[in-house]
Amino acid sequence: MSSREVSFATRLRRAGVSDAARAESLIAQISDITGVQLEDPAHTVSYLADPDTGLLQLLRIAEAARDSGHLDALRALADTAAGGRLGVLLGASVALGDFLVLHPEFLADFSAWPEGESFAIVDQRRALLEAVGADPDADIPVATVEGDEGVRALRVAYRRQLMRVAAEDLYADQPAPLFPAVGAALADLAGAALEAGLAVARAGEPQHALTRLAIIGMGKCGGRELNYVSDVDVIFAAEPAEGADEDKALRVAIRLANAASRACDRAGAEPALWQVDANLRPEGKDGVLVRNVASHRAYYERWAETWEFQALLKARPIAGDREVGAAYVEAMGPMVWKAVEREGFVESAQAMRRRVEEHVPAHESDRQIKLGPGGLRDVEFTIQLLQLVHGRHDPSLRARSTLDALAALRRGGYVGRPDAAKMDRSYRQLRVWEHRLQLRRLSRTHLMPAAEDDRRVLARASGFATVEYMDEVWHDIRRDVRAMHLEMFYRPILPVVASLSADEARLDDAAARDRLAAIGFDDPQAALRHITALTEGVSRRASIQRQLLPAMIGWLADGADPDAGLLAFRRLSEQLENSQWYLKLLRDSRTAAERLARLLSTSVYVTDALLSSAENVTWLGDNAQLEPRSPERLAREADAILKRSDDADQCITALRGLRRRELARVAAADVLGLIDSVQAAASVTATADMLIAGALRIATAVVARDEGFDTLPISVIVVAMGRYGGSEMSYSSDADVQFVFDGEHEQASALAVKVARELQRLLQAPNPQPPLEIDADLRPEGRNGPLARSLASCTAYYERWSDPWEAQALLRARPCAGDEELLAAFTTMIDAVRYPPELPPSALKQMRTLKARMESERLPRGVDPRRHLKLGPGGLSDVEWTVQLLQLQHAHDVDGLRTTRTREALHAATRAGLLSRTDAADLDDAWVLATDLRGALALRGRERSPDVLPGDAREVRILAGIMNVDDTGAELIERHGRTTRHARAVTERVFYGWDTTT
Amino acid sequence: MNKQQEYVLRSVEERDIRFIRLWFTDVLGILKSVAIAPAELENAFTEGIGFDGSAVEGLTRVYEADMLAKPDPTTFQILPWRGAEHGVARMFCDISTPDGEPALSDSRQVLKRNLDRASELGFTFYTHPEIEFYLLEKPEPGVPPKPVDRAGYFDNVPRGTAHNFRREAITMLESMGISVEFSHHEAGPGQNEIDLRYADALTMADNIMTFRTVIKEVALQQGVFASFMPKPLADGPGSGMHTHMSLFEGDRNAFYEAGTDHQLSQVARQFMAGLLKYAPEISAITNQYVNSYKRLWGGAEAPSYVCWGSNNRSALVRIPIHKPGKGQSTRVEYRALDSAANPYLAFSVLLSAGLKGIEDGLELPEGAEDDVWELSAAERKAMGYQALPTSLSQAVEVMERSELVAETLGERVFDFVLRNKRAEWKAYRAQVTPYELEQYLPVL
Repeated sequence: MSSREVSFATRLRRAGVSDAARAESLIAQISDITGVQLEDPAHTVSYLADPDTGLLQLLRIAEAARDSGHLDALRALADTAAGGRLGVLLGASVALGDFLVLHPEFLADFSAWPEGESFAIVDQRRALLEAVGADPDADIPVATVEGDEGVRALRVAYRRQLMRVAAEDLYADQPAPLFPAVGAALADLAGAALEAGLAVARAGEPQHALTRLAIIGMGKCGGRELNYVSDVDVIFAAEPAEGADEDKALRVAIRLANAASRACDRAGAEPALWQVDANLRPEGKDGVLVRNVASHRAYYERWAETWEFQALLKARPIAGDREVGAAYVEAMGPMVWKAVEREGFVESAQAMRRRVEEHVPAHESDRQIKLGPGGLRDVEFTIQLLQLVHGRHDPSLRARSTLDALAALRRGGYVGRPDAAKMDRSYRQLRVWEHRLQLRRLSRTHLMPAAEDDRRVLARASGFATVEYMDEVWHDIRRDVRAMHLEMFYRPILPVVASLSADEARLDDAAARDRLAAIGFDDPQAALRHITALTEGVSRRASIQRQLLPAMIGWLADGADPDAGLLAFRRLSEQLENSQWYLKLLRDSRTAAERLARLLSTSVYVTDALLSSAENVTWLGDNAQLEPRSPERLAREADAILKRSDDADQCITALRGLRRRELARVAAADVLGLIDSVQAAASVTATADMLIAGALRIATAVVARDEGFDTLPISVIVVAMGRYGGSEMSYSSDADVQFVFDGEHEQASALAVKVARELQRLLQAPNPQPPLEIDADLRPEGRNGPLARSLASCTAYYERWSDPWEAQALLRARPCAGDEELLAAFTTMIDAVRYPPELPPSALKQMRTLKARMESERLPRGVDPRRHLKLGPGGLSDVEWTVQLLQLQHAHDVDGLRTTRTREALHAATRAGLLSRTDAADLDDAWVLATDLRGALALRGRERSPDVLPGDAREVRILAGIMNVDDTGAELIERHGRTTRHARAVTERVFYGWDTTT
Repeated sequence: MNKQQEYVLRSVEERDIRFIRLWFTDVLGILKSVAIAPAELENAFTEGIGFDGSAVEGLTRVYEADMLAKPDPTTFQILPWRGAEHGVARMFCDISTPDGEPALSDSRQVLKRNLDRASELGFTFYTHPEIEFYLLEKPEPGVPPKPVDRAGYFDNVPRGTAHNFRREAITMLESMGISVEFSHHEAGPGQNEIDLRYADALTMADNIMTFRTVIKEVALQQGVFASFMPKPLADGPGSGMHTHMSLFEGDRNAFYEAGTDHQLSQVARQFMAGLLKYAPEISAITNQYVNSYKRLWGGAEAPSYVCWGSNNRSALVRIPIHKPGKGQSTRVEYRALDSAANPYLAFSVLLSAGLKGIEDGLELPEGAEDDVWELSAAERKAMGYQALPTSLSQAVEVMERSELVAETLGERVFDFVLRNKRAEWKAYRAQVTPYELEQYLPVL
């Protein structure tokens, strides 16, 4: 082995060859056949995307050329630019190499293409018609090469032309600038193929003269931006020839249309070109294949869906009768733009927008050039959406191709110049990759290859030195395309200000309103006013708002009520006009801004809370801040407030403010899905505990001072009852309580009542901070009993007088504020009452009767009981009474049942085997769903009653959104029906003891 | 929008139609109709026609609800009895909420939803009902109904009312695109049967609704009265609607398998097992009136016990014997259904019961050879033949606990049906019948 040979192998490897030994042998064999030595084979090979395959293909071609007597044509190419074109073609396209192996006679083409002349000047139509022996100048060209032979000739001629386009495309230093010409040539070639196919079809159809058939290109073919391999979307339109019978002519036209399509897409000796897809026609697959122009028009005028008009955007006659084609386009053109005013346009525009913004992950989305995030489809949708939104008022936007439309949008000021340039570059690059991938095997693919070898070939074919570099560029493009959508769509809604450079997009009011309406703002006029107010002027504030708003508008539009959300955002921003941190936070934290938009456009309750304490917006950037505060921490904070001041009013105001703040925090976390409704209820309860404990301290001090004591001679405690006792309060619940005291003093009772009154006053009196309503009706003897009772009197009462329902009410009694000792003593006392060793049958009967009466009496009139979350069948009350009955019956023996919380007791009952698992699950599901729905209703803040499930499925859909579940309105209503039905059945069996077995 | 709608608009114009009736069905299976003028038709297609949706809730309407009726253009038919000039046409409607969601309370949508479910499993559901009814003389209040003739099973009554009647009715049905397979005089005096050629269940349910209207119209024209009441004569046989059912997978009958017992495939056996298992709980749908149970328990071949057989005229589910080589016509016949059922809901629960059998892979019990009516109660018990509910009240109680029915109908319709049926039972129970007066008054 000489050293020269070794270095040749190395040079081959450097040139990109993987199997150098084999490559060397291939080169030698090629030389043997052709008798030509290349000057510098390694250098030549380095231009090939896949040198190994390219050399093998060259050898096969050389053999074929030798066998068919075309060797001279091949020899002539050695070391010429024409030979270079052949080389890059073989390196990049196995399929076209195979074509040359079968047709070595076309090797001569490479030398025949005039240097410096683009494929764009080729008359493809003429070339293909001539190939089937039809006269291109005839009004109605008819093939003389007929039947299968005609089809074969057509396909060979097509590939011969395709070869030229591909060779030049691949040979170009910069494929991106050439892309529009390539796409146009491919579309023309497709049109020519259909034209020739039609000529062949006519040859086999003696009555062809009866009809005048036009083929309209849709999609990428219509837009003259076709791929190397993709379905060619078409629509057929036909008119009868003069004097011809209409029905007969239509039947002939259908036969011709079918035959022309089959000439392109039926399997054959020469492989099919691509699928001809006529499914965009009126009524799709079910519709008749060919219609006359009037029938097309009638269809679109009456029936078509919005997306069908979108498809018409790109319609262009590509083959067949030119007059009919022109008539079709003339008839359809204006309708596209009228369509935008139709009902349903906003929905489909929103669907398009969401499609781009949320991105439904496509199959293999990380490798998708077309459908993946930031892929071709995103570019096309963004541009089409803008075209549809603005094209009705601005005819200059009605361009067919994506890049032309983009340019028109830029010229019209709808898209900023830098954005447009970036989008343009990205689109071209994506298309170049797509083309290179498809060329390899002439297959319809949009997937970045997975195998490393294939990626390398792609990188080399598209002018990237390494795979890594290509990946990096691809990554950047995807990110840019996604980001640009926001920039291009929302940014220009903002009003133009003087300082903007000429590069920026500028929309007039009408155009901005069009965009806002298209994404779901009901009152775009008002929305625009808010946006103007927010961004007007040259202040720093306005300039940050201009940064923020594009994304904010998009997020607000996703909420239930974009208009209300934007208004709230304006009010909030004006309130915080002078707070530096506010805009800084929103600018720097995408999370905070997105959360704010969601809260403002979803929940009236949280919006009100934020508007009254705007500084709470700071929480949104920080998950820890959105975590409900623990009861201990609340107690410490309250304690600090009480120690700071002796002024009762000041203290209670501060405490009430503290509670409001915490409620806002819990509600925000609840809407954002950071906590569930059960946690939320517990946290809401904790805020009440804090406030009542504080108020009791203040009240005690106030009464002591007023009555002239240093310290009050009695102690008073507050006992939480009902939902409050169960830690299941909702945002607007009253606090059910009773007051108990102990202490030796002749005025003890009067003092205790004074403390209770003072506490109520502190919590309910008008004050800048919201009140907490105190309801003491669940005390012994109800409203007729004294407001506060001594422990001894309570004990006597419960022992002697109380009805079983009072024991039941005590199940949820939770002493929550006041003297520890008294709290403990009270608990011990009531435990004996509420956890009796045995529930007498009379008590059971009384409970059942009471509940049955409640069901018929307590429900508000005119409300469908099934929708009543609390009192309806299977509602909260059913679950709670069932659980409470089990508690009364068994808590004496089962410790776990001694809890005031419904779910805890339910789980304990299940563990103790008092309820079957399925029964428990039915009750639990119903209780949780009702709690979720009540929570969502309160947060939504719109319904008159927070206890009634709305009948309107749209409103229920919004609740589902707040609950962070995917149900549609109807699904949630159905689920509620099912869940409550199950829970009701359990209640009837377990609580009422109705025997339901037959 | 589509060709069908275009066709309807054109037909209305060309045929000089003056009114279009929009038909829909309440939860009880009673036909409701809104007439609109041709000018409103286009709007009806695009937007729907607004009406108070509580109309579909049956007799216990409670809550007003705005609903839209959207005509289904594939059901467009000119009503032949309204004459050729200034004609009247009808279309069935789907009911939706104002925001376009299918209304949860619409029976037709219930059936559509269940057919979709079947199609997700790859099945198309075909039915073929044999509808029995009575021709009576015009009813007078307080007088027991009088049949128009005294003939019996398959009797040919020369120039009989019934004969003319059937000819006229069948002509009219055929002119409305409803194919009749077979018709004959039934066992009871004045009782007739007309069998409709099999069709997919939705078309068939629409056809049954049309059928009832046509039969009543033709009877009126001929000066008699037609009734689909399940048991109009205490001593005559009741009017059932034996329904043959089959599932197709594409072009293939999924019930057929050559060489097996009765040529029944596994799918068919499981489908039947489902029907048998759920028969009691779907009774309140298949036999929805107080009066239905008088047919079901009135003897004369009515299927009161849950069992199946081939060629056993007392069985609830029967395998009709078909000619060899006609595998495509393999089917199972459900014999409890009566002529007064809401066909949309009835087909829904039958399909659903059968599919549940398939999904759960239920085992088909052994077939019954004996006439179960002849067996003693103890024998039936020993052989495991369960009885169907004996009254509407019992049927409602069983249905109330049925997950299958709730799921099939949806919570809304389930609730409406229960509400209606409880009210019906209550009203019935409040009656003092002639029987009681006759039996008790003289002696007590």
